[in-house]
Amino acid sequence: MIQLIDIEKVYRTKTIETVALHRVNLHVERGEFVSIMGPSGCGKSTLLNIMGLLDEPTSGHVAIDGQPVKTHSDSKLAKLRNEKIGFVFQSYHLIYDLSVVDNVELPLLYRNVSGSDRRKRALEALEKVGLSARTKHFPNQLSGGQRQRVAIARALAGNPEIILADEPTGNLDSVMGEEIMDILLRLNQEEGTTIVMVTHDENMALKTNRLIRFFDGQQVADSRVLEAQI
Amino acid sequence: MIRHLFKLIWNQKKSNFLLITEIFFSFLVLFAVLSFGIYNYHNYTKPLGFTYDNVWQLWLNPQTDSTAHNLAVQRELIQRVKSFPEVEHASLSNSNTPFAFSQMNNNLSYGGKKDIQANVFNVQADYQKVLGLEVSQGRWFGPQDKASLHKPIVINQKLKEELFGDEEAIGKLLPINDSSQYAVIGVIDHYRSYSEFDPEEAAYFECINLDEEKSYFWNGLVMKVKPGAGVAFEEKMVRELSRIAKDWTIEVTTLEKMRQSKAKMTTVPMVALGLVCGFLVFNVALGLFGVLWYNINRRYAEIGLRRAIGASSKQIRNQFVGEVLVIATFGLLLGLLLAVQFPLLQVFQLSSAIYWESIAAAAFLIFLLATICAIYPSYQASKIYPAVALHEE
Repeated sequence: MIQLIDIEKVYRTKTIETVALHRVNLHVERGEFVSIMGPSGCGKSTLLNIMGLLDEPTSGHVAIDGQPVKTHSDSKLAKLRNEKIGFVFQSYHLIYDLSVVDNVELPLLYRNVSGSDRRKRALEALEKVGLSARTKHFPNQLSGGQRQRVAIARALAGNPEIILADEPTGNLDSVMGEEIMDILLRLNQEEGTTIVMVTHDENMALKTNRLIRFFDGQQVADSRVLEAQI
Repeated sequence: MIRHLFKLIWNQKKSNFLLITEIFFSFLVLFAVLSFGIYNYHNYTKPLGFTYDNVWQLWLNPQTDSTAHNLAVQRELIQRVKSFPEVEHASLSNSNTPFAFSQMNNNLSYGGKKDIQANVFNVQADYQKVLGLEVSQGRWFGPQDKASLHKPIVINQKLKEELFGDEEAIGKLLPINDSSQYAVIGVIDHYRSYSEFDPEEAAYFECINLDEEKSYFWNGLVMKVKPGAGVAFEEKMVRELSRIAKDWTIEVTTLEKMRQSKAKMTTVPMVALGLVCGFLVFNVALGLFGVLWYNINRRYAEIGLRRAIGASSKQIRNQFVGEVLVIATFGLLLGLLLAVQFPLLQVFQLSSAIYWESIAAAAFLIFLLATICAIYPSYQASKIYPAVALHEE
């Protein structure tokens, strides 16, 4: 589904060069729920950005469904992000001037989808995350857990094959974190959505079916590789 | 997407209120200035009905009170003027010659039409040749009018329409007083002599008959000179005329100079208003530019999000341009509510077409201004790198 081949990411300023990712090779299969763990600054979010086509590697290749994306134009990359990938962020990234349902509709605005169809799909997505009663509310009228559920609904509205979640429970207490994790697990198990989640929470990570650990920009452990070795 | 933009701006109406207000006032000011400008332009493009090239104006100011003596001297003067080889035609007139700061009017009645106000021009038969007036119906004054029972007049088309509508005008009699009447002998299409920027008014010409009118002095003398007649001729003419009319003040000017002087009465306020309006619009442009720039910096994370969920850089650019246009639309809609009252209520008696044209032009300029102000900040927004923008929050 997502293939990263020899990925290097180096940030350069006038005085310093920082290696964020070093020779990362990773293949995420369709239907997997992968969690990525590691200390702050080890390159997890950079990896997620590269997987989500939001950032370009300094060297190496990214392929989605076997198709390399290096030569894709800006609009083609945008189309891929829109149709194949859904994002969930730690800080939700909701638009506070739009209602819940309008926030959820956002990805569909960039497709040729009619207004009524957009609304229907947004409401369906909100139902999946249990927020049908809050469609007309604005984000500042919701709790943190509810906001994150709106963000998940927004990711689901476009019916993506992949969800990339960057510390989705990072700003939530344990109860709300569990709720969000349950939603993601359900999506993965019932709808077969491929999920890649960056997390600091070991308990959450252990619920996924593959755990990858990063340290200093390098992949140091992969549970699937370990299982294979055992 | 348009609906989305309207919803977004409507939900941000409090923060956009000042900008919407600024656009509202700018639209109204533009509308007012454009109405003034378009009104003047419309008038300017209409025919004057005469030509002013190589037409000179002499102002004759005698120093004595004896009208009989003055008229005698004046006869000599006009004969001498006509005798100059440089002069093609000359005619006495009242002081309300083209582009002069003088007007004379009278009320005329015909049938049920009472007191139609019209400008009166007292001229000699050669006035037609001096100004190149074209008679479209009937004829101009001629020697046969001396034996006329009624006082002959030539009217312009506007007066004809006001008095007679579609009826034939030639031969119609109009009362001057209980004992005398005007007889319409000719119609000219246009005569708009007050200013190039003024609308045409109803007007008629009376013929000066020096043999009959002994109690009135005509202080204007217009003449058509041959091309090339210049300062040397002017000096020579004034010198010779001063010999005939000793102690008289004789001033010479050209209709071209008078036209320019009269035009300034309209163009100077128009330029001043234009400058004030331009300054205002410039300030609005700076405001728009600044607000948009600030918005983009404030909404970095939102731009990152939109890029993440599938917006291309072009769509980001279009969105910000679109937002400014929507803000402009809100301001315009408020302004339109007021502006449309002008054509609907016929305020200032201007034609509705002028108001509608001004509304369209002001709206177009506001949208153009908004687009120009939005282009660069929106371009900058489209260049924001999504991965960087998402880290801003």
